[in-house]
Amino acid sequence: MFHWLEQRPFFFAVMLFLTVAFAGFIEIVPDFSKASQPLVGKKPSTVLQLAGRQVYIKDSCNACHSQLIRPFKAETDRYGMYSLSGEYAYDRPFLWGSKRTGPDLHRVGNYRTTEWHENHMMNPPAVVPGSIMPKYPHMFTNLADLATAYANASTQKAVFGVPYDQKGMPKLGTWKEAKAQALEDAKKIASEMKNQSVKDMVAAGKVPEIVALIAYLNSLK
Amino acid sequence: MQSNAQLEYDYSVVKLFTFATILFGIIGMTIGVIIAFQLAFPELSNLAGEYGTFSRLRPLHTNGVAFGFTLSGIFATWYYVGQRTLKMSLKESKFLMTVAKLHFWLYFITILLAVVTLILGYTTSKEYAELEWPLDLLVVVWWVLWGVSMFGMIGLRRERAIYVSIWYYMSSFLAVAMLYLFNNMEVPTFFWSGDAPSSLMHSISMYSGTNDALVQWWYGHNAVAFVFTTPIIAIIYYFLPKESGQPIFSYKLSVLAFWGLMFVYLWAGGHHLLYSTVPDWMQTMGSAMSVVLILPSWGSAINMLLTMKGEWQQLQTSPLIKFMILASTFYMLSTIEGPIQAIKSVNAIAHFTDWIPGHVHDGTLGWVGFMIIASLYHMAPRIYKRELYSKKLMDTQFWLQTTGIVLYFTSMWIAGITQGMMWRAYDDYGSLLYSFIDTVEVLHPYYTLRGIGGLFYLIGFFMFAFNMYKTATSGRVLDKEPANASPMA
Amino acid sequence: MSQEALMTFAGYGKFFLTLFIFIMFYGYAYSIYKRQKTGERDFEKYSNLVLNDSLDSPPLEPRDRK
Repeated sequence: MFHWLEQRPFFFAVMLFLTVAFAGFIEIVPDFSKASQPLVGKKPSTVLQLAGRQVYIKDSCNACHSQLIRPFKAETDRYGMYSLSGEYAYDRPFLWGSKRTGPDLHRVGNYRTTEWHENHMMNPPAVVPGSIMPKYPHMFTNLADLATAYANASTQKAVFGVPYDQKGMPKLGTWKEAKAQALEDAKKIASEMKNQSVKDMVAAGKVPEIVALIAYLNSLK
Repeated sequence: MQSNAQLEYDYSVVKLFTFATILFGIIGMTIGVIIAFQLAFPELSNLAGEYGTFSRLRPLHTNGVAFGFTLSGIFATWYYVGQRTLKMSLKESKFLMTVAKLHFWLYFITILLAVVTLILGYTTSKEYAELEWPLDLLVVVWWVLWGVSMFGMIGLRRERAIYVSIWYYMSSFLAVAMLYLFNNMEVPTFFWSGDAPSSLMHSISMYSGTNDALVQWWYGHNAVAFVFTTPIIAIIYYFLPKESGQPIFSYKLSVLAFWGLMFVYLWAGGHHLLYSTVPDWMQTMGSAMSVVLILPSWGSAINMLLTMKGEWQQLQTSPLIKFMILASTFYMLSTIEGPIQAIKSVNAIAHFTDWIPGHVHDGTLGWVGFMIIASLYHMAPRIYKRELYSKKLMDTQFWLQTTGIVLYFTSMWIAGITQGMMWRAYDDYGSLLYSFIDTVEVLHPYYTLRGIGGLFYLIGFFMFAFNMYKTATSGRVLDKEPANASPMA
Repeated sequence: MSQEALMTFAGYGKFFLTLFIFIMFYGYAYSIYKRQKTGERDFEKYSNLVLNDSLDSPPLEPRDRK
């Protein structure tokens, strides 16, 4: 039978494909619907937070920081409660990371403040002596892409049924409404910051990347 | 078609891909050395503003070496090994020739675009699948073209039996197609943006959270399998017997190892998610199957080493044999190291540490890199019809690069285990002994050593590029094709 | 179908499929070594696909091309 197969490239390829595909089918399908259930009370991100998440992705923060606390005492002592599947239900894509060149960030919002992030992103070794993290001054001048963040949220709502605009959930509305809300949120963050040019930009209706990023990091709890 | 006295194999596409292998190898490895030194000397991260940070460059390095260097090498050898073992020439079919050329150019453009978009920060963040959706579509196009060329060439073959290397190439084609499609299922957000001026490039994953992680590592692990393992086995099954003039130790074993590997490899992805939020049964299965994976992997590796039975003196005389034998040895090393790291209790320490990049690099530098370098060296006298430019340079390159790899993986082993142990150390009063930054500062000497190791390898690669260039332009012209051992000056 | 029932079903399915593949694989291994030994088929000759791979060397198992 095998000899027959080995001389017939088409059937050989079919057989090969089945052998290879088998495992994925067994692994991924059974728990698929269960694993996508959100934790009770979990809210999707606001537009500003999503814009910050996009900054996090754009600069590949996930190359050095995980967002997954494993159920070991050494990790829960250091980073807080271990991670649960339902906490990630709105994460598209997931940002668990695979390497901790820097510490885990899954609950960084519990123990770092806006001010801390502001100083740290500008010059990490000044805040944490010995840090090998790059400086990110460009985040203080580049503008966050709120429009794409809005598109992200409305895609989640339209395609995946993420509960925006429902009772007790973040409001999305039209682009105009969403933009006004994001600016409102940005002003709150900026009021806790010291950098004058960031404050001026936000007052002028522009949101620098750093403000969005801090909004996102503060939401990680 | 019977009179093939004048017919020759056509190596024009092989030459194009050979060029791409060297070009992308230089780009990818140079960036690798830069980011290695950035971890040791962080000031280097801020030399080029936002475009030069470790975080921007890291995806560029992984994509550059995996999909630039390695894939070019795989395609170059495919068009060589494919024609020769099937006994058909691309000259015989205008259609296949066009497909092959188109395959090259679309591929080449995609990788160049990948370099640009990644530097600009267009990334999906999913490892080894960072490219955004328009580029993903391009990838699909040339991947299909590769498939057309593959099955087209098989369809035109003179030899009824299909050699085992071809099986491995086929498996790469099929498996990567499946993995890539499923993992890159993404929704461009542009179409739901209403009147917001949103970016056309942006997309979000079709899966969320834990599911996304599961699909990602099912892909991520097996992208390693079907880009860094199976095609490289295809390469060694052709080039080692050919260069040494020895038949494979056991063809039967090669066939059995093939089916074993095909079946087992895909199960092992779960070992990237140990102690995460994916279900326990999946973690345990991933762990167990990773250990089973030793069998088919070592089946191939031992088969390679035993092929040299009775001919070990070639190891002394031919640098090419050296490259290939050391490559199979590194294959054995990384396929025993991987399963060890996949054991749950080991993984608790090793995960998230530098031991993982250490493991990846003894596979990629030692096994993938050496095999591709050796196969390009072997092909050079055949495709350029010239003698290899310098044996001495090859020898120097071999020792320099080997030293580089050893420095790389030993420093990363120590770094990884040190950091893993420090993260979990407690003092007598039950509080954590080290703050996170303590565990970073301690790594400085290892990061420096790793950078130096990488630099050695890179210098060796430049020697390789130089040697290839000289061979193609000024090597002694050969009057006929060498049968086995490649002639070198 | 409930999650529980689905998992049970998947569990049995997995076990028997794995058993089936196990038997197929070792059956295949046994058969090729046996056929080699009885001389019914020589598998080792395929190594020559690499050693004699120039266009003018005669194919091991010629194939008529349409």
